[in-house]
Amino acid sequence: MKWLNNIPMRRKLTVVILMTCSSVLLLACGILAVYQILDYRKMVARDLSVLAEVMAQNTQGAIAFDDQSQAQETLAALRSEPSVAGACIYDDHGVVFATYLDPGRHIRLPGHPRNDGVKFEADGLMVFHPIFLNNKRLGTLFIQYDLTGLHDRILLFGGIAALVLIGSCLVAWLLSALLQKPVSGPILNLADTVQLIAEREDYSIRAPCSGDNEVARLAKSFNRLVAGIEERDRTLRSSNEALQGEITERKAANDRVHSQLTRLEMLNRITRAIGERQDLRSIFQVVIRTLEDHLPLDFCCVALYRPEENVVVVTSVGVRSEAMAMELALTEKSVVPIDQNGLSQCVQGRLVYESDIRGSEFPFPKRLAGGGLAAMVAAPLLVESQVFGVLVAGRRQPDSFSSGECEFLRQLSEHVALAAHQAQIYTALQQAYDDLRQTQQAVMQQERLRALGQMASGVAHDINNAISPVALYTESLLENEPNLSPRARNYLETIQHAIEDVTHTVARMREFYRQRDTQLALVPLQLSPLVQQAADISRARWSDMPQQRGVSVEMKMELAPELPAVMGIESEIREALVNLIFNAVDAMPTGGSITLRTRMVAPPPDSNGSRGSVAIEVVDTGVGMDEDTRRRCLEPFFTTKGDRGTGLGLAMVYGTIQRLNAGIEIDSVLGKGTTMRLCFPIPHAQGGGPRPSAGRFSIPSRQRILIVDDDPLLIKSLRDALETDGHIVTPANGGQAGIDTFQSAQAAGEIFDVVITDLGMPNVDGRRVATAIKHASHSTPVIMLTGWGQRLNTEGDIPPCVDQVLSKPPKLKELREALAQCVQHQNQL
Amino acid sequence: MGVLRASEPRGPLLPGVLPSGWQRLRLWGKTGWCALLMLLSVSTSQAQSKEYQIKAAFLFNFAQFVLWPATAFTNTSEPFQIGVLGDNPFGKALEEIVRGETIQSRPIVIVQSSSVEKLAGCQVLFVSKSEAAHLKDVFTKLDSKPVLTVSEDPAFISHGGMINFYREGPKVRFEINSDAAARNGLKLSSELLRVGKIVHTETPDK
Repeated sequence: MKWLNNIPMRRKLTVVILMTCSSVLLLACGILAVYQILDYRKMVARDLSVLAEVMAQNTQGAIAFDDQSQAQETLAALRSEPSVAGACIYDDHGVVFATYLDPGRHIRLPGHPRNDGVKFEADGLMVFHPIFLNNKRLGTLFIQYDLTGLHDRILLFGGIAALVLIGSCLVAWLLSALLQKPVSGPILNLADTVQLIAEREDYSIRAPCSGDNEVARLAKSFNRLVAGIEERDRTLRSSNEALQGEITERKAANDRVHSQLTRLEMLNRITRAIGERQDLRSIFQVVIRTLEDHLPLDFCCVALYRPEENVVVVTSVGVRSEAMAMELALTEKSVVPIDQNGLSQCVQGRLVYESDIRGSEFPFPKRLAGGGLAAMVAAPLLVESQVFGVLVAGRRQPDSFSSGECEFLRQLSEHVALAAHQAQIYTALQQAYDDLRQTQQAVMQQERLRALGQMASGVAHDINNAISPVALYTESLLENEPNLSPRARNYLETIQHAIEDVTHTVARMREFYRQRDTQLALVPLQLSPLVQQAADISRARWSDMPQQRGVSVEMKMELAPELPAVMGIESEIREALVNLIFNAVDAMPTGGSITLRTRMVAPPPDSNGSRGSVAIEVVDTGVGMDEDTRRRCLEPFFTTKGDRGTGLGLAMVYGTIQRLNAGIEIDSVLGKGTTMRLCFPIPHAQGGGPRPSAGRFSIPSRQRILIVDDDPLLIKSLRDALETDGHIVTPANGGQAGIDTFQSAQAAGEIFDVVITDLGMPNVDGRRVATAIKHASHSTPVIMLTGWGQRLNTEGDIPPCVDQVLSKPPKLKELREALAQCVQHQNQL
Repeated sequence: MGVLRASEPRGPLLPGVLPSGWQRLRLWGKTGWCALLMLLSVSTSQAQSKEYQIKAAFLFNFAQFVLWPATAFTNTSEPFQIGVLGDNPFGKALEEIVRGETIQSRPIVIVQSSSVEKLAGCQVLFVSKSEAAHLKDVFTKLDSKPVLTVSEDPAFISHGGMINFYREGPKVRFEINSDAAARNGLKLSSELLRVGKIVHTETPDK
């Protein structure tokens, strides 16, 4: 029904009336038609039944006497009924007996009778009627009735209905056209009035109203409404004018807020940008570039303040300002003295704004005005109320800086100052962090060395134990067998030297990580001969072996003739040098030259009291090291030689050098070569001297000695050596066995003169044995024999209840000396 | 007996088909073809029995299209009698057709006799061919009693008979002497008259 909304009211009324009339008429016609059709059908059915009954009666005889021609004749009488399309008779077996077909029509008769009765079907009306004779069924009569009559009737009725409909609608349209005027007229008037008011916006127009009906009331109410609107319109117009003024004001304010916001946004952006930077220069550059682009400025620069010289130094100039800066001689690094008025106020922490500097007398504004600038702002950069710089902004237009912009520059300068300050703090922090990391690395290095040392200590102990019998027997043989052949003696002496070397090596390995131990053993020595010795020892490696491979290594010696003595241990320095020479050879797979140099190094000027140092340099022309390798090369197990290297060479050198209080420096250029420099400080006073040798001692004889050890081989060798000296030796295998043997001997009155015990034994160790023996017999001296002997000695950590400590492998000389001291001591008591 | 006048020429009677079984046997026996024709008689007797079945049904149907005067029955409980005068050509066919049927609410009784007197109380009388020679005597004895007389003799109508069977091709047809029926007080239904062939006797045989 939407379409109805868009048509004029007059037509709408007509349409409504017409639609109502035609709908009612259609309904009435439809009902009538249906009734007519039903009635007609009923009538036809009744007529047909009657006809069928009559025909049935008339054909009884023909069927009863099997007279088909008679039956045919009777059926032929249906000719007179034009609506009958066909008929037939079936006998009591359902076989067709007689037929009649209307010649004008072509229908098919059913082959068999169906249920009795009248049926409307598509072909027409069909009736099956029984034929009875004396209550006995003879057959069935079928008649098909043509319904053309019905269809004709429907068409006729439809035509009449259509004519009636058209006629009625015509009448209804004429009537409605006349009668709708009193209804639509006033409404249309009202509508016209409203349109007029809307078009002219003239609220003084009134709608005509007459009579007393709904529309008239509507018109009156409308007039009242328009009067009200007229009044309100007047009020509105006046208030609108007032509002207009306010809006203009607000808009101006809004513009100000907007520009403020834009500046705030810029401030925010600058702050974020400079927050990401850590160096002053780039911070200033960011600030200046942003200001130039977005504020915008004609000139912008940052100058740092030097209070001691009372000048500012231009640090950064904007990209756009560069041409003008050249003109004004304000390029980077140019120095500007602080004049009386302009800059001096600024370096005191105040923002300076000169709205027009063209007539200024002061040098700095005058200088700027010379470049065509008219307005200038100088904002101080303050950190903790100290001015450290000035931000200078300028424009060609006089009075062009609004108060908002000045405020903005002031705030910006605060932010910049803060960021600059933080950048400084950051740099300091980074420095501290780097220091810390270096320290941490050093500590880790130390820790690694310590772990290595502990392992080495354990290994040393086992080696000492193992070579003890060898040392004892060798010494014993050399001493007690006068009939040895010179060759055997020579061999034995070689063995003895080898064992001594092993002992030293093991001792060094064990003490590898300990710094303070070595202080005791340092002796003054000359370095140049040591260097020469090291070169001689390693000759095979740098001369013969490369030659076999067809490579030549040249060895140059640059030894200073007279150098002050430094404190150290000959063998260790020599070994370190050999290690360095080996490395140098390895670094030159295609040959080159090695230079060994000793020289005096002057002390640094700021170190007071230092007497400088003596340096040994091992310089090669090999492959060199990159930075990472150089940093890590002193770490234990770090090697660049793959499987050939243990990674311990330089680590040992480093350990040695640290123990000797010396320093190591490494200069290396990848592909050029490496210089390893060992610097030995020159001591203040030459002291020490060789250790006093042990005094003479008398060899005691026939002592009853108890040996406690868990190593049967050691017990046997020690027993053999002591028994050769004429002592009576009782062995005890293990700590508990030793205590038991001692106590049982004491109980038997045969007290031992001396007890020699091992330190490290399972279950009951040397300390407990010593304690037990001193407990049983206080005067019996106890000699402790240990793989850790040297350490115990040097640390002064001699356990209680122990009189003497000997290190493994024991030397006969030391053993005798200890025995003598014990006995001597005992005798003195 | 008057001259028989038919509206349509009468079809020839086929020998061996129309005569009754008994008649035929006798006929052939006399001529001495007995042995040969005994074989033929099997098929022809079947055709004959079919024909008489139809005739028996017609006989029953006639009774339904005829209205008897009240004087035809002595009382209300008297059965409806169908008599067969002379030899019975129907065999059991007639009894089978009327079994269980009623006419005007009366049960049907078949009576067979060679004496006309005994059959004078019947409502329908079939005069067998065997009585062809005594037709005059039969009608004399029946006089004007309300009896529907039926036969299969071409001369029957001319002697005053009411309905006579004849053959028209394979079909059994009948001719009706409605005047004779009217004379004896019987009312024949228009249906019957429409089906049968109406013949008139010029001079009533009285």
